[in-house]
Amino acid sequence: MMGTVESLLLGFSVALQPDVLWYAFLGCLVGTIVGVLPGIGPLSGISILLPATFGLDTTKSVVMLAGIYYGSQYGGSTTSILMRIPGEAASVMTCIDGYAMAQKGRAGAALCIAAVGSWVAGTFGVIMLTLIAPPLATFALRFGPPEYTALLMLGLVFLAYMSSTSLPRTLLMACVGLLLGTIGIDNMTGHFRYSFDIPELGDGIGIVPVAVGLFGLGEILSTPSANMIRKVIAPKLRQLLPSRQEWRESAMPIARGSLLGFLVGLTPGSAHIISSFLSYALERRLSKHPEQFGNGAVAGVAGPESANNAASTGAFVPMLALGLPTGPITAVLIAALMIHGVPPGPTLVNEHPNVFWGFVASMYVGNLMLLALNLPLVGIFVNVLRIPYAYLYPLVIMFCIVGVYEVNHSIVDVWIMLIMGVVGYGLRKFGLDPAPLVLGLVIAPTFEMSLRQSLIMSNGNWTIFVQRPIAAVLLAVCALLLALAALSVIRARKDWRSKLAEAESGEGT
Amino acid sequence: MTLRTDHIAGGVFVALGLAVFALSGDLPIGTLSFPGAGMMPKLVVGLMIVFGLLLIVRAGESAPLASLPWTDLPHAARIVAITAVAIALYQPLGFVLTMVLLLFALTFGAERRHALAAAAFSIGVVALTYLLFAVMLKTPLEPGILGF
Repeated sequence: MMGTVESLLLGFSVALQPDVLWYAFLGCLVGTIVGVLPGIGPLSGISILLPATFGLDTTKSVVMLAGIYYGSQYGGSTTSILMRIPGEAASVMTCIDGYAMAQKGRAGAALCIAAVGSWVAGTFGVIMLTLIAPPLATFALRFGPPEYTALLMLGLVFLAYMSSTSLPRTLLMACVGLLLGTIGIDNMTGHFRYSFDIPELGDGIGIVPVAVGLFGLGEILSTPSANMIRKVIAPKLRQLLPSRQEWRESAMPIARGSLLGFLVGLTPGSAHIISSFLSYALERRLSKHPEQFGNGAVAGVAGPESANNAASTGAFVPMLALGLPTGPITAVLIAALMIHGVPPGPTLVNEHPNVFWGFVASMYVGNLMLLALNLPLVGIFVNVLRIPYAYLYPLVIMFCIVGVYEVNHSIVDVWIMLIMGVVGYGLRKFGLDPAPLVLGLVIAPTFEMSLRQSLIMSNGNWTIFVQRPIAAVLLAVCALLLALAALSVIRARKDWRSKLAEAESGEGT
Repeated sequence: MTLRTDHIAGGVFVALGLAVFALSGDLPIGTLSFPGAGMMPKLVVGLMIVFGLLLIVRAGESAPLASLPWTDLPHAARIVAITAVAIALYQPLGFVLTMVLLLFALTFGAERRHALAAAAFSIGVVALTYLLFAVMLKTPLEPGILGF
């Protein structure tokens, strides 16, 4: 415990340096704007700004990019409450009761509860990250290739199980990502795979062009500008304070949302989105007045907003301790660390304590900054929404092109981004979620390498995966999840995931 | 039989899988004790075909293809075409000229905004972005024929 406190103090000595503070602030500010703007999610925000961090040191760049991620969770509530438009997907549930509160003249109170709930949950998440990540990293040092293979397999299966679309759809998308990840030179044998004599493809397909194409450009192509008509309500500062009754009603949902969100955040998948849906369902189930949900229930704002913030922090635990992305956003953050020559994973805490603890400490500070940004300045952020979409999306396309080009100064990457944008548009049309594709692409090299190393270690004996206890347990969990999913298909009954998907499609529009 | 979205989606991925399989002929699978460069891609393609077929089999749960709205397609096609031209011009013309043209084409050409407003927006935004990236963040942008 003392070791953790000392390490955290080291982290604060890094995070409180004026230049690190500035980049944390910049990340939080951009994140809030990204969260406020519909159509630009945290993933596209981080991907577009990734090249701008190349000139910075590792700590500053990760602090800034992470600030965009958790900042977007704060900003997303603003448009949900004031306009019934989710700034990003995790704020869909806040639209329901947040907007209903706004219609009753309680927009300021809803915004305040969302911001305070986000702050409490974010801070709780960072405390848990501080306590859990270092021992988990120590434990992960026991992992060899078979354990990593099993862990990555579990990640994919868990993602498919938790997904609101069907299991075959998610696994299909993950397979496409894994396949894209095999493009380029095979590290073990030197064979060129699917590179079609294009030298740039020899190094494989980058995460950034794929992520920016699928999520940034793909979203723009799917959004006809004529449909983006906005009516903006700007609450006054004095209207921001909730009543005593509203504080009482929000206290327990914030606590439950924080815990639930953090736990969901540890699992693969779009945790920040799933956690807000689960929290809303939980609060409605526990409420003495479930009929108030949909008509301005305070718990319907406090719970989901806390949950999505805690989940976004929880997602950093497997990313930092195991080097495993639980979703496309953490995948891009891992790419950012690797570009700076810092491999995330079990060795990060010991070999780069300044980066790890500086990053953790910056999140304590960042959450405070976001509270300050999101309450008094809410009126300013709302004004960003007055920019007509016809001017906004060309700007985003420009940043997509520049952002992708600047990673490797490769025009091939920009063409890949454009192709992925068209693919993303098509996938959306046919109800296929592009997130598992990005996850598949990210884990493909590690997955292939650890699978092949395991087979070489065992002289071609597949039982190596069940002979080693950790790998066996992980594979047993995989089998259990697949069996549960298959059972629900065979019985053709609606389990909680399909109900969630229905709620998402019904309330999200 | 009503043609449904999953018939098309599943069919596309099965066809893609078969095409990739055909392209993988020269990649050695190797042995279990020493897997070759073709093992992973062929394993993944096999799974992709299986999941594509599953989509086709369970296509009854998806929406009829005729119900898919395509009203946004012309707008999306315009954006793709303009962006493609901008990408082709990016290295020869450089950041400043290409982006001014891109923004103008999108705001004036695709969005039918007033020409003067579109021009002012395009030039202003590119100038500000150049200042932000090239001057403040010290990120070198593509110089092109203007030399900066």
